Amino acid sequence: MTTQINVTETLDTSGVLCPLPVYKAALVLKRMESGQVLELTCTDPGSLEDIPAMARQRGDRLLQTDNRGATQVFWIEKGTTT
Amino acid sequence: MINRLTAPPQLTTDRSAQRYDDIRELLPDVDHPTPLVRVNRVAADLSLYLKLEWLNPFGSIKDRAAKYLLDGLRSRGELGDRELVEASSGNTAIALAALAALQGTRLTVTIPDGVPEEKKVVLRMLGAEVWETPDDMCPVDHPKDGAIALARSLAASENGTKYVMPNQYENPDNVLAHYETTGPEIWRQTEGRVRVFLAGFGTCGTLTGVGRYLKEQDPTIKIVAIEPQKGHRLPGLKSFGEAKEPGNLDWSVIDDVVRVDDEPAYDMTKRLWREDGLMVGPSTGAIVHAAVEYGLAPDEIAVGVSPDSGLKYTSYFAELLGEDGLPQV
Repeated sequence: MTTQINVTETLDTSGVLCPLPVYKAALVLKRMESGQVLELTCTDPGSLEDIPAMARQRGDRLLQTDNRGATQVFWIEKGTTT
Repeated sequence: MINRLTAPPQLTTDRSAQRYDDIRELLPDVDHPTPLVRVNRVAADLSLYLKLEWLNPFGSIKDRAAKYLLDGLRSRGELGDRELVEASSGNTAIALAALAALQGTRLTVTIPDGVPEEKKVVLRMLGAEVWETPDDMCPVDHPKDGAIALARSLAASENGTKYVMPNQYENPDNVLAHYETTGPEIWRQTEGRVRVFLAGFGTCGTLTGVGRYLKEQDPTIKIVAIEPQKGHRLPGLKSFGEAKEPGNLDWSVIDDVVRVDDEPAYDMTKRLWREDGLMVGPSTGAIVHAAVEYGLAPDEIAVGVSPDSGLKYTSYFAELLGEDGLPQV
């Protein structure tokens, strides 16, 4: 069961290879406010490793990951430091 | 409004009068080389010459590679109506941006973190789109190769229909540019007397292309590669302790590697400006410092590459100078 997440922005990077999803996600997160949530859709399998690493490095919080086979969806809450 | 009845008058290219129909005609070749200038004061005891590549029309040694990369894509029919994407610390991108603009092709540049603002502004002035790439973007890849990885992913996206990547690191046209131009120029300019050639590790087009040509003329000519330390601040140079070796690197033509720290490289850069009137960039400082440290014999002619001018690094130099040159009252 998933908890209700209030999504502020969505970004679909389907068909795009890493590290482009990381780059684009970081650009969107940069313009968001602390506490706001990005819903990020990826299809590159590398995202399963790269996106959590990016969130950790930036000081953001990975709220939830939904692995839907070829598609992965991440919900990232922007932290206070970046 | 003026109605012209006749076509505007036009002069034809005349190299003896230094008159050109098109900026691209200033690109160097064996008959029209970039200057070779002796380092008279900083290396007074040596016969060290610098090849002033910043006198190329778009400001660096990368003019040569950019021309060959674009010509190669065009001749193989690989460009079509696609846009260009390339990873560059600035100089290749600047030359590509200028040449691409002249042929009406758009360019996106992925540029490593920390490249001076001057280069990014130059690129945007030339109409390129600049994607600055943080070093920590690819935590699971080579940390300093994020710009290359990003350019590759852009090129591969949309099934490769939007972008084509010249890929200066792996493209033999980069090596060919120096094999066919820089190498023969140096050989002719030194009357075949060059004994040592020095250039930095980067894309390795210069080292491999010039090295290969000079070794074919005389296998005893020494080819010396300059490598910065990990975490360096010498744009254009690569430390293979933190970056992947490019496919263009041919170790068989490299005789020695000299490692250089940032501080002596920048100190030498300042000395070259102040003592020799050579307004070079930091990578030239690294190469000249390496030449002085290398132990060249006074009677052997050495040629170092001076890849670009220092005018693209004034923000770096401002930090280096601190209060130097300001009134002390």
